[in-house]
Amino acid sequence: MKIVAVTACPTGIAHTYMAAARLETAAKALGHQIKVETQGAMGIENKLTENDIRQAQIAIFAVDIAVEERERFNGVKVIQVPLQEALKDPHSIFAKIQH
Amino acid sequence: MPERTSTSLEFSFVCPLSGGLHARPASHLADVANEYVSECILANLRNGSVASLKSVLAIISADVREGDSCTVRVEGTDERQAQTALLQFVNEVLPGCDVPLPKSDIAVRDGTIPRALKSTDVPFCFGAPASSGIGQGRVVFLDGMSLRQRINGRGPVDALNELEQIKRATSVVCARLREKLKHSKSTAEAGILQAGLAIANDVSLAQKLRESVLQGMPAGEAVAAAGEFFIDLLRRSGSEYISDRALDIEEICLQLLGELYGNDFKPANVQLSGPSVVVVESLAPQQLLALDRQHLQALVVGHSGATSHAIILARSLGIPAVVGVKNARQMLSPSQEIVVDAIRGLIATRVPPAIQRFYEREMATLERRRNKLSSSANVRATTIDGRSIEVAANAASYDELRLAFESGADGIGLFRTEGLFLGREHAPSEEEQFEIYAHAARIASGRPVIIRTFDLGGDKPVPYLSLPVEKNPFLGYRGSRIYSEHTELLQSQLRAILRASVFGRVQIMAPMIASLEDVLLFKAQLSKAKQHLHTRGTFFAPDIPVGMMIEVPSAGFILDQLCREVDFFSLGTNDLNQYFLAADRDNPKTASLSDRLHPGFLRFLQKIVGEVHAAGKWIGMCGQMAAEIHHLPLLLGLGLDEISIPSAKILEVKRAVLCLSANNCESLLSRAIALGSSTEIENLIDESRLPHSSQPLLTVDLIMLESDTSTKEEAIQEIVDAFYVAGRTDNRMRLEEAVWAREAVYPTGLGYGFAAPHCKTDAVNADSIAVLKLKQGIEWGSVDGQPVNMIILIAMREAHEPSRHMQVFSQLARNLMNEEFRRSLLNIEDAPKMTSYLARELGVGDLAVQ
Repeated sequence: MKIVAVTACPTGIAHTYMAAARLETAAKALGHQIKVETQGAMGIENKLTENDIRQAQIAIFAVDIAVEERERFNGVKVIQVPLQEALKDPHSIFAKIQH
Repeated sequence: MPERTSTSLEFSFVCPLSGGLHARPASHLADVANEYVSECILANLRNGSVASLKSVLAIISADVREGDSCTVRVEGTDERQAQTALLQFVNEVLPGCDVPLPKSDIAVRDGTIPRALKSTDVPFCFGAPASSGIGQGRVVFLDGMSLRQRINGRGPVDALNELEQIKRATSVVCARLREKLKHSKSTAEAGILQAGLAIANDVSLAQKLRESVLQGMPAGEAVAAAGEFFIDLLRRSGSEYISDRALDIEEICLQLLGELYGNDFKPANVQLSGPSVVVVESLAPQQLLALDRQHLQALVVGHSGATSHAIILARSLGIPAVVGVKNARQMLSPSQEIVVDAIRGLIATRVPPAIQRFYEREMATLERRRNKLSSSANVRATTIDGRSIEVAANAASYDELRLAFESGADGIGLFRTEGLFLGREHAPSEEEQFEIYAHAARIASGRPVIIRTFDLGGDKPVPYLSLPVEKNPFLGYRGSRIYSEHTELLQSQLRAILRASVFGRVQIMAPMIASLEDVLLFKAQLSKAKQHLHTRGTFFAPDIPVGMMIEVPSAGFILDQLCREVDFFSLGTNDLNQYFLAADRDNPKTASLSDRLHPGFLRFLQKIVGEVHAAGKWIGMCGQMAAEIHHLPLLLGLGLDEISIPSAKILEVKRAVLCLSANNCESLLSRAIALGSSTEIENLIDESRLPHSSQPLLTVDLIMLESDTSTKEEAIQEIVDAFYVAGRTDNRMRLEEAVWAREAVYPTGLGYGFAAPHCKTDAVNADSIAVLKLKQGIEWGSVDGQPVNMIILIAMREAHEPSRHMQVFSQLARNLMNEEFRRSLLNIEDAPKMTSYLARELGVGDLAVQ
């Protein structure tokens, strides 16, 4: 499956990046293709292009704050979870997608 | 001829002083008024109070604040002269008397206490930390002295006899104060004694006493009544500083009562046995001095005056004190063991093991911080390309001398001596001066001490010199210009300095030298002083170096001549700049013109330093310009041998020098002086500046791999303390709260036994990574519910731009998700290996590691 994701937390120092790493590892283990955009203290990094988003079957928002440039995802199926979910149990997020 | 009817003269003025007519300007004003027989009455139109200008107490109680409109009415036989003198004083001298009040930036704490303390169930009292430190001991209540104690019920009185007794008591008290003043070794104590003298001699106090006695009161009651009258007036002023002065009046009245009633009226003598904390509503300096310092661990004071004389004294004696503690009497009982935390303004009312442990750790932390700071302060300030500059301190008192060397000063670049001459009725004796100069030489232990002879002028009233009031004292009769008229004063100072020279590297410096002739006259005076000591058979260093301030621009154009006569120079940039640019630095309208980065001024400095060095002589800088860290690259570019700055800046400046290159600074200076305005120069400095922090991201000081901490509160505290010891925070409470604020969103335990707390706060002075490895796992609220063994804390400064370190932090966060990385961290057993491992894994260069 092709997945895009956004991670963001209030301070944007640590958890944004931890969650990104966790999602990447878990997706890889499950055989998914994923691209994770981080919205942290350095601003938007690894930014999802229009193309990335169009090709994805689903978008995961693992965020504790509002996603920036949310309009890019209009018309895309989005599943939003608290960021901690991605740290605690990323596999369960992917399990939700399957259903 | 018609008989001259009694008229009166009146004028009005608006108080120009930001601190109001407080004790010092009031006493100058009273000095002027007391030279005339006419009545001089001040009326404050804001609050309707009326006061005799002859009484310091009355003036202070009129509570004249900045911007208050006042009138002065003068009436009497010499009213015309009195009016002229007062008017001139108010217009010309008073605006220059504005000394910021000794304000403490402390406030009663709002109940924020460290989490590790909060997690105990011990009740705390709160107050304002007025004299820093920590003291533990048993509670001893001390009764404040009351003016009314044991004076009632004295028999009927003969007014004349009572007045005579008051007169005698006053003269004994004054004589005692003067005697103490003569032997006083601390400026804090001298200030207290002088304030006491002014009150004891106050005309309003005398008048009030007289009135009361004539109304039939016995002497003691009259003293108590007069004291209460003024205390009440001052307490109602609404100003903390003024209401603190009420304690001074109380103190003097208590002394008068002591004289009147002898041993019947002495403070109850409290014997301290074992470590004690004295709890008292308000404290007189004499009471404090009577306590056994061997046992006195701390003071808890109900009254809130941080500027009261007893508290100033406590500070200079190093006794921890918390003031403004409202409920101490209710919450404490005699002999109870307590801890006074006069760093945070807390009193722990019981000392269970958790509190004991906290403060034992706290004492160790404070000790480690002191050692760390003094060791890094004592390094020589050398640029990366190997040029050294002496970083010396300015000082003017015993306290400042101590602070200077504690802060790592390479010497005293400017010992201002005016303070010894101001605010007193007689000049300091040769002995008094010798003591402080010799003390300076001794504690400098081999480092140079440059003592500047007195720089007095019309802006600083000195009663015994009767210097004329001038239209423009900065261009007037001041500094070395008054030396030929006051040779005896100069001689005694020069003798005192010469005698002190055998105790260390003392150097003499003359202020306000404008010509070769000025130097020659000064040197002739010095020879005379040496001759005198020689005849007396007193030792001194015969080849004591002689230098001069460069603050009059003319000196900068005759350096060839001056270099033949003196050994060293110091640039007094404050005056040099205002004389050079013809702009008064105290005039708000021209302050922007007195611009130290004026290209012309920088060129002038460059010319001076170049010529002095070409002649093989030494040159430093002691003005404000030297203390501005922003200007440091220019100062290094000038090639100064020394800068002399306030002690508080030494560490910061030394650290900054270590990161600069002298070559780059020189080229920066040559580019700067080619620019057209100071704004362009400012911009140039900004552009070429290094990132705000000269401190690396990783340091072994923040790596702790063997912690036996057992709670989350203590773990965070331990890390915060490490920041404090390493000099990376000065505000532990703010840092701790920032960390906890992030934990409150959700705990940062990321599972696998790791936690990554983090915060963004300017409570840290550099972006940092800290590591704490625990011997035993602790509960952290982790996502997997498991205990935490390793804590990696990230602290970054708030910045508008993303920090260049953010890349590293995000890499660290990602790596923590990697099992191999975590295993390696757990296996590393020493701090240097940890920093180099992290540096390698996170891709930071060696420069980011210390």
